[in-house]
Amino acid sequence: MQLRKSQSLQKPFFKIKTSIMNNTFNAKRFGFLFKKTLLEKPTQMFGFTGLIFLFILILYYLMKTFASFQAAQNISFLWGLVGGDFILTSFMFGYFSSTASGSFYLTLPVSNFEKWLSSFVIAGILYPLIFMAFYRIMDAGFVAAYHNSLDPNAPFYKIRYDSVYLLSFNDRLPRIVYPMFLVFSGIMLIGSLYFNKVALVKVALAICVLFLSIYGLNYMFASLMFKNIDDAFPFQHVAILVGKEVGSVELPKKVHDPIWYFINFGLPVVLWGVAFIRLREKEF
Amino acid sequence: MIDIQNLSFGYKRKRLLYKNLTLKLEAGSIYGLLGKNGAGKSTLLKNFIGLLFPKDGKIAVNGFEPKKRWPSFLETIYFIPEEVYVPALTVEGYKNLFSPFYPAFNEKQFYSYLDQLDVKDKGKLNGLSFGQQKKFIIAFALACNTQVLLLDEPTNGLDIPSKIKFRKLIASIFTDDKIIFISTHQIRDLDNLIDRVIIVDNGELLLNASVEDISEKLCFKTVSKLSNPDEILYSEDSLKGFSIVTKNTNAEESKVNLEHLFNAITEKPILAKAIFQN
Repeated sequence: MQLRKSQSLQKPFFKIKTSIMNNTFNAKRFGFLFKKTLLEKPTQMFGFTGLIFLFILILYYLMKTFASFQAAQNISFLWGLVGGDFILTSFMFGYFSSTASGSFYLTLPVSNFEKWLSSFVIAGILYPLIFMAFYRIMDAGFVAAYHNSLDPNAPFYKIRYDSVYLLSFNDRLPRIVYPMFLVFSGIMLIGSLYFNKVALVKVALAICVLFLSIYGLNYMFASLMFKNIDDAFPFQHVAILVGKEVGSVELPKKVHDPIWYFINFGLPVVLWGVAFIRLREKEF
Repeated sequence: MIDIQNLSFGYKRKRLLYKNLTLKLEAGSIYGLLGKNGAGKSTLLKNFIGLLFPKDGKIAVNGFEPKKRWPSFLETIYFIPEEVYVPALTVEGYKNLFSPFYPAFNEKQFYSYLDQLDVKDKGKLNGLSFGQQKKFIIAFALACNTQVLLLDEPTNGLDIPSKIKFRKLIASIFTDDKIIFISTHQIRDLDNLIDRVIIVDNGELLLNASVEDISEKLCFKTVSKLSNPDEILYSEDSLKGFSIVTKNTNAEESKVNLEHLFNAITEKPILAKAIFQN
């Protein structure tokens, strides 16, 4: 016997708004998505952030103990921001590791732009801010502990005191690291849309291969043009041995500046833009 | 309504799974999509929801182009894949995080469906068995009250009592403004549930007919001896002789056997097409 269908007892359907604007961005819907993104996998999201902070704390301590304060500050800042953000970004589109979660993510009633924006807010804004706050507290703690450990009556107290100071977020290194973290997270975001499984490892490998290829090609071209090359870094300089001295050939300003601006501002925009387009075109 | 016009789709351009498929699915029916393994059943569903994009042709679902995956479209359609995804959340946590995306979600119905499907609230969802997870997602999907519900092998992983409960629940929630589209190779699970049968094979639509129409045009019966072999679309040995599917020339009343129907249509597609075109 055929099962009988019930009469419609449910509420009338929600009136569908079809405006392009509403289908691109809706603040309320974005709020739901943002909340979902943070709370859906809290262990992964917050647990990882905690772990990376712990790692950076240990790294800082080891580096300052066995190398120097400056090395500790630089390396922990670089790894915390670039490395930490790189891994965190891999979670953003990590749904594609399984058919079930990938389908679920893409069919969630949220626009592609909102999905992309949510990733950008977390990986591109929130994480760096939280990391820098953590870094400032950690750095201040270590520096204060060092200053307190000095004997004011000991010789060279002033020199030793002044030799260790807080890392300024406007220093040369942070200014290199800021675009770098956006470039790496942009690459990771694109990579996690191309490689569904173990995207983190595959993207890391792809970056290594890409970097070595560019470095090798650059070195090869530099070798063809100069003799006695000491070092050659892509888009930056070629160091040449002249006797016992090392001289550096740098790009002329009119070539250097556009490249510098592109790498610092253009490349992150291009990479994050490509990630959005790729998400929109993603089939699963 | 789902309107498919000249759909061509293939994972590789040179090997198309569907060629010029044209199909219209009206609201007010529960459709059963039957096909062999690899026939492209899941692929068709994924085209409906916008997880895959047609290579050629057009698909419109309630007037939306699925490819764009607009939120206003996705609010009106729910797709339950064969393997379901549940995060490490409680029933309450899941409802709180995900129901706001579906404007027609009904909390009372959700808990009622969970109860009817016998889903126990025991901590985190990812700790439940596969069958329980699937029933949870089915309950959630039904409570979302979307106009279109796509189910890919929904009974896989369900035990026998759950399959019965599933069928009863689907039938009880169904209203004339909805389309429920079930793809399965477990044909018996759809018995007494579906209104219309769609059979696809080798990228071709072999049948799109209502159960009423099928029972009017075909006869399913058991005979002791095979006669008029040209009129027989399918036969198989049975305890009492032969179970056969023939053209219903004498207006006999018979119950549609979906398994036999599927075999009949896929084994003699030309004859079947001729019968259903008239």
